[in-house]
Amino acid sequence: MRYGGDNRGRLLIIVLLVTSLFLITLDLRGVQVIDGLRTGTQTALTPIQKAGSWVVSPVRNFLSDVTHLGRTRNQMEKLKSENEKLRLALQNRQTADAQLKQLKGVLNLAGTAGYKVVNAKVISQGSSTSFTQTLTIDAGTSSGVHTNMTVLSGYGLVGVVKYAYPNSALVQLASDPAFKIGARIAGSQQIGILSGQGTRKGVLQLLDNTTQIRKGDALLARGSQNGRPFVPGVPIGEVTSVDNSPGAVTQTADVKFYTNFSTLGVVAVVVSGASADPRDALVPPKPRPTPLPTVTIYASPSAVEPTPTATPTPKIK
Amino acid sequence: MSLRRFLISFPIFFIVFLLQEAVITQMRLPAGGINLLLIVALIWAALSTPEIGVLTGFGAGLLMDLSQTSPGPMGHWTLVLIVACYAIAFLGYGDDNIRGNPINIVFLVTIGVVAAQAVFLVLGLMLGQEIGSFTNVLFVLAGSAFWTAIISPLILKVISFFHANIFGMRTRI
Repeated sequence: MRYGGDNRGRLLIIVLLVTSLFLITLDLRGVQVIDGLRTGTQTALTPIQKAGSWVVSPVRNFLSDVTHLGRTRNQMEKLKSENEKLRLALQNRQTADAQLKQLKGVLNLAGTAGYKVVNAKVISQGSSTSFTQTLTIDAGTSSGVHTNMTVLSGYGLVGVVKYAYPNSALVQLASDPAFKIGARIAGSQQIGILSGQGTRKGVLQLLDNTTQIRKGDALLARGSQNGRPFVPGVPIGEVTSVDNSPGAVTQTADVKFYTNFSTLGVVAVVVSGASADPRDALVPPKPRPTPLPTVTIYASPSAVEPTPTATPTPKIK
Repeated sequence: MSLRRFLISFPIFFIVFLLQEAVITQMRLPAGGINLLLIVALIWAALSTPEIGVLTGFGAGLLMDLSQTSPGPMGHWTLVLIVACYAIAFLGYGDDNIRGNPINIVFLVTIGVVAAQAVFLVLGLMLGQEIGSFTNVLFVLAGSAFWTAIISPLILKVISFFHANIFGMRTRI
């Protein structure tokens, strides 16, 4: 028999629905209690997330290997030929090496620009089932990390600190649909607004429709007042395609971010910007094409030429 | 009586919440990953009366709103889950064709997860949130359906066991 409901049940539903609407209203009006609840929960969860990260890392590495099986097949073949003991040691150190490489990249980038940074490990990646792109790092206000600070990887922009807790911080990735940043094109200095799209691809909207933009152009952060939320000169990505539709009000372009957000292990939070704008100093060098050896054959006079031979003609009777 | 029993079930949801925040979000699973708390709440609601379903939605929604990765205001997931859990409990209550058959429950929960996320998205749009590209939204919804269809049969027996021990043996599958 179908449930028809009674007055008590209906009242309960109405009370709970009103309660949730009340909570939404309170939160949207910026009531501090609601923010305090989330902050308290995150503060309590941070040690558990750190422990979880430590426990899950072998499984995560395994899953990563499975999903990238095609790409790592050649590497795996080489590793198989190596000594068993060396291979085991290499696998154990793989995670640490990757993080060290990322850390070196971040420090190189920050050092070139003169940024003062705080390094942090990524302890959790936000669930994309909520249609957001975030990650949690293990540095918070106790390390000098505050909201609206730029976050870098060795390749360029990662995102911006959205919330800072005592021992952790939530970073909104540049790929987040709500993320927007003022960008300029290296060299030509044209400016525009870059928006995240939920993937590694962003969309750049140029402010001046008469300017020219080309595929392969590098994008840098324009920077904000006092360097927050964005310090100037941070590499963002490169233009992959340009939409030059005639009659369009603004010119748009697809941009591929330099940073691969799914493989981040170590990042750096810029706590203090450079004293001078680094301008185009951080634009990554374009990959040089590998020269292909060409073989040219010259005919030398000493070569033996084939002697023409007489072809017998058939007799016609 | 029901409310007391519901309160007994709260530690289960809290443990699932901790698992979701500390372990599952670390896995970086493809296609958006798993929202375990949402799946458990909907299965729990499918096995319960509509009143318990509503309370389950309220409790699980509050926990999901407390998550730092929740983009919306506090109460956003709560509102969605109250409606979703009530709908699932209402559909299943008194119909042994649904509640007695695990395949039906898995199907119902999979549809419920996708529907709940779609409603969450629409509500978010109404509250002024950005949702990104349409293809990405479709990809995440399809991924959620896929993972729910994989995970639900694996955990259904365990949830049914706890549910039966708290609310009585009739709901055990």
